[in-house]
Amino acid sequence: MAYQPDRSQYPQPGADGKLDIDLTSGKYLKLWQGPQHPGITGNMAVELTVCGDEVVEGKVHVGYLHRGFEKLMERRTFIQCFPIVCRICVPEPDFNEYCYAAAVEELAGIEIPEQARWIRALILEMGRINSFLMYCGGQAGSYGMGVISQWTTYVRDLMLDRFEELTGARIYHMFILPGGVRDTLPEGFAQRMEETLREIEITMKDVYETMYCNAVFKKRTVGLGVIDPELLDSYGVTGPNARAAGVAKDVRKDQPYLIYPELDFEPILGQDSDIYTRADLRRQDILQSVDLVRQILAKMPKEGPVMSKLPNVLHWKIPRGETYIRGECSRGEYGYYLVTDGSGFPRRVNVRGPSYTHAMSLLERMIVNINIADVAGLMVSLHTYPPEIER
Amino acid sequence: MSIRDLLSPFTAWKYLLKNPVTIPDPLNDRPGSARYRGFHKNDNEKCIGCGTCEAICQNGAIDMLPVKGTATQEGDSGLRPRIDYGRCCWCALCVDVCMTGSLTMSNEYKWVESDPDAFRFTPGVDEKFWDNAELGYQRPEDHRLVEAKRVTMEEMDADTRINSFAEIVNGYSIEQAKLEADRCVACGICIATCPTHMAIPDYIDAVREGNYERGLKLLYETNPFSNVCGRVCTRKCESACASRHEGEPIAIRWLKRHIIDQVPFEKYREIIGEPDAPTGKKVAIIGAGPAGMTAAFDLVRMGHEVVVYEAKAAAGGMTRYGIPEYRLPYDALDRDIELIVSLGVKVHYNTRIGSDIAMAQLEQDFDAVLLAIGLQEGRQTRIPKSEHEKVYRAVDLLDKITSEEAFELPHCAVVIGGGNVAMDIARSLARMQKQQYDQVDVVVTAMEDQQHFMADADEIKEALEEGIIIRDNCGPQGCEIDESGHLIGLKTWKVLSILDENNRFAPTYDDSDETIHACDTVIEAIGQFSDTSLLGEELTEKLEWNRGRIDIDSNGRTSESWLWSAGDCVSGPDVVHAVADGHRVASSINSYISSNESSIDKQS
Amino acid sequence: MSALSIEGRHIGLPLRETKWMREFYTKLAKQFPLGELTEQRDNLAFISIEQPQLRPLLMHLRDKEGFSHLVLLTAVDWIEEGHFQLTYLLSNRTNGTDIGLRLMISRDDALMESIHDIWPTAATYQRELREMFGIDFPDSPGVYEDFILEGWNNIPPYRRDFDTLEFSTENFAQRPGRETKDPAQHMKQQLYPDGA
Repeated sequence: MAYQPDRSQYPQPGADGKLDIDLTSGKYLKLWQGPQHPGITGNMAVELTVCGDEVVEGKVHVGYLHRGFEKLMERRTFIQCFPIVCRICVPEPDFNEYCYAAAVEELAGIEIPEQARWIRALILEMGRINSFLMYCGGQAGSYGMGVISQWTTYVRDLMLDRFEELTGARIYHMFILPGGVRDTLPEGFAQRMEETLREIEITMKDVYETMYCNAVFKKRTVGLGVIDPELLDSYGVTGPNARAAGVAKDVRKDQPYLIYPELDFEPILGQDSDIYTRADLRRQDILQSVDLVRQILAKMPKEGPVMSKLPNVLHWKIPRGETYIRGECSRGEYGYYLVTDGSGFPRRVNVRGPSYTHAMSLLERMIVNINIADVAGLMVSLHTYPPEIER
Repeated sequence: MSIRDLLSPFTAWKYLLKNPVTIPDPLNDRPGSARYRGFHKNDNEKCIGCGTCEAICQNGAIDMLPVKGTATQEGDSGLRPRIDYGRCCWCALCVDVCMTGSLTMSNEYKWVESDPDAFRFTPGVDEKFWDNAELGYQRPEDHRLVEAKRVTMEEMDADTRINSFAEIVNGYSIEQAKLEADRCVACGICIATCPTHMAIPDYIDAVREGNYERGLKLLYETNPFSNVCGRVCTRKCESACASRHEGEPIAIRWLKRHIIDQVPFEKYREIIGEPDAPTGKKVAIIGAGPAGMTAAFDLVRMGHEVVVYEAKAAAGGMTRYGIPEYRLPYDALDRDIELIVSLGVKVHYNTRIGSDIAMAQLEQDFDAVLLAIGLQEGRQTRIPKSEHEKVYRAVDLLDKITSEEAFELPHCAVVIGGGNVAMDIARSLARMQKQQYDQVDVVVTAMEDQQHFMADADEIKEALEEGIIIRDNCGPQGCEIDESGHLIGLKTWKVLSILDENNRFAPTYDDSDETIHACDTVIEAIGQFSDTSLLGEELTEKLEWNRGRIDIDSNGRTSESWLWSAGDCVSGPDVVHAVADGHRVASSINSYISSNESSIDKQS
Repeated sequence: MSALSIEGRHIGLPLRETKWMREFYTKLAKQFPLGELTEQRDNLAFISIEQPQLRPLLMHLRDKEGFSHLVLLTAVDWIEEGHFQLTYLLSNRTNGTDIGLRLMISRDDALMESIHDIWPTAATYQRELREMFGIDFPDSPGVYEDFILEGWNNIPPYRRDFDTLEFSTENFAQRPGRETKDPAQHMKQQLYPDGA
């Protein structure tokens, strides 16, 4: 016979539909998870109201790393915005560079060379791999498996080496600028990349054995943190969070950009929409991206320009207009809404990070009635990057 | 859940047997990659201190400051970028935009100091341990944030232009001008090089903005001969342009002309404004060339009464009587003159000072007098038999062409000289020959080799296209005359060297390498001098002289307190220099006649 | 699509026109009064609308036309024209198209009805808009709670009249010892100080 908890001690909704929580009753406790939390890249706090060890209400608090990029860009010229956009999302900066550059190019009517389109896609896939690797470590860490993050950090570091030799920097690459990319692939890059990819595959096999085939991990994640597929659209859920619920939301397929139509892949889908499904889906996404990097390196043109002619960037003005550019980052739909007004500065830049919807309204809804110990796991399973929430 | 799920995690134990992946000594064993954007390097010799790196830096991390041992000179501000590593984000836009390619990055990324202010440094000046690093980020080839190539100026082709004196250059269209103006990084290091310090970046900005009236106003602030300078300026600014280092300099001259082309002449007066209230002071100016007319322009706007005496029938000096019409059409010059005259300047044409009116008279009647008589006389080679009637001075012939005075057009001409005047006369004769004889036969001989001709490269190129033959390294030795007294040729020897070890003119020849250039006319184009006989003996005695030219102070004033001199006659031949002179003497004359000094002088 | 150019250098934008967008717009315009249509690319268009149309149009687009995904809701400050532009960007995944609804509201009395009942996630956007632009969305859950800023008592910072440079100059000390020279001015001082 299944265990039936006694829920009589838990708060009941009042007439207005809100929970009747009397903090003076002694039955409830306020707990803060965060703003520093090892499972989250950046700072974000969840204010939990617990009854026993069950969460009855959760409120997400952001504001710990608001840097005001959208506002800062309003007083920078179009080229001057390029170095700062990558800083909006620390663990996966390249989508900022791509979306910003593509938005500027569209409004200014600039087409980029073919090779640059391939190199952009290469960088974006490399970035996705890195971001997923970081997630794997965090997800494992939230269930006490610290060693996994050491392994993924190692292979991520190898990928950072590839970034370094390609772009000249490890974290903030500042490589995709309006007009194309800075440079072509260095000599011997494909071969070194292949070595790195193999190392990633070996490590992911070990991660699979120790994390995904781990009784404790399965016990704690299967069936927990389910996102009802009905909620996907109303909460703006995209990316792996949506695909784990069986909905093939993938910008690379829905609105193919760059050279994705020329690559052979199918969005990976899950069924159960729980923490385990999402974790496993991201593991498979790493392997898929590894494959995509291989495809790109094999198919891309090896010569030709990588940069289009730009107007003099020091007094570059773009006519009035607005556009929205999106890409499929590791967490879902990453987008830039750019408005220009004919001057040399953007009128408005709005960054749509997927965590904005995932970590705010969706998390607050999902967190109710789960165990305190599972909060971290759930939070990480939505793959939240707080810097993109508040920019 | 299976038995596998219980056992599988234990596979992690195999890592006990693996070697650690960490780098034991990362400070030494982990250099940055070849493209790494590490600490900055700057090639101090290449850097011109244009400050474009500062302009593009979105962090405000770069300051431009003077450094010891780097002097400010033409084309180099003497400033060098100092970078504040408290603000730098290593985006390398400064490297990408650098106009000379002097700024690069090393692959070094470790730098430890106890003093935080040490991280504000001037690369290439403050010595750093990475200064000689071989690796590091450099702007990739083809990665340019600023266009290197000039927008081509469309010209009439050689076959068409040789048939007439029509202007060769078409001028930019609005789109072309905007594109060309767009290349300018507005660093402003050209301003110092321009003799009259035109606000070049500002008027180029006006072209970008399409605000031509503002552009015209800016032009007239420093140069009332913008029609002329927009076409024939020696454009020293372009040789100082930051864009020339890794591409072609901005076509500053053509952009100036573009502004002129865009504003209807009827609007000029309104844009330039009305002169100040009359002061009652009178200034006489001798010579209606660029220097004299610029001074007249300034002085009349200051409210003084200005009277210009011009020996010829029209104003403009050498710009009219020297420069051929295909380079500077008369109507363009007329616009400049007409505007100045419209401000209230009185010009007496065909009035020669010295013969028609005496200098003493001017001294008497005016508060100040400006001598701007130019260089009107051609120098002679004085080679044997060059006194022949078919040996001309280039300036005299050019004068005849402008004045439409008849002369016997040579069937075959040889020009001596490699400067712009030589090209002017050669190309003018070529046009006339084409019209009258339907064939061009003009030879230009000069002592220099063609690479070192004084003439503009464009002039030489166009002359060659028009069928003119250039024979360089030819030193003229004498004219050849047949028994009946006809000029039949010019004899030259091959030049071995022109200057001696002290850089003095002392040519040496190879007399075994002799050429006779057959011709019926020889034209000497080896320089001009000034005829100062109008001063009269007494004044010539009184004035101080310097190597055959009237001695002037830095304001253009002679040793006589009422007399100034400006333009080619004291500064050598150059239009824009003459304009600059005109401004300088106008300001000096103004301060003199506005003070009581002049009236005191008069009474004494 | 390729840009207009001279000698390979970009000088302007070509005109775009996309067929399905026009047809869709014509169809939609029969049911709703619509403003200007801007066809940005073949799968993105912006349509200007008035406030009364917002709710029925959003419901129609979501339920009948497949635009079920609210991509973002944000504002643009057109301070010179005295209004805020609210942009509701909707996406239809099945045919891969996006429509942005542009709605101008007065800057002086910035107030808009909430759409959190259509898309719950809109509540977060509206909370941010109230904080950053001072646009009020009455009845939106938690709209008056601090979102990103805490204890902010200046004008809403994303409004154009909020000057970030002035704010930072007033609130933060500059590192001493910074000075810079303009190349042209410096050359003037060095080479021709009297201006001659």
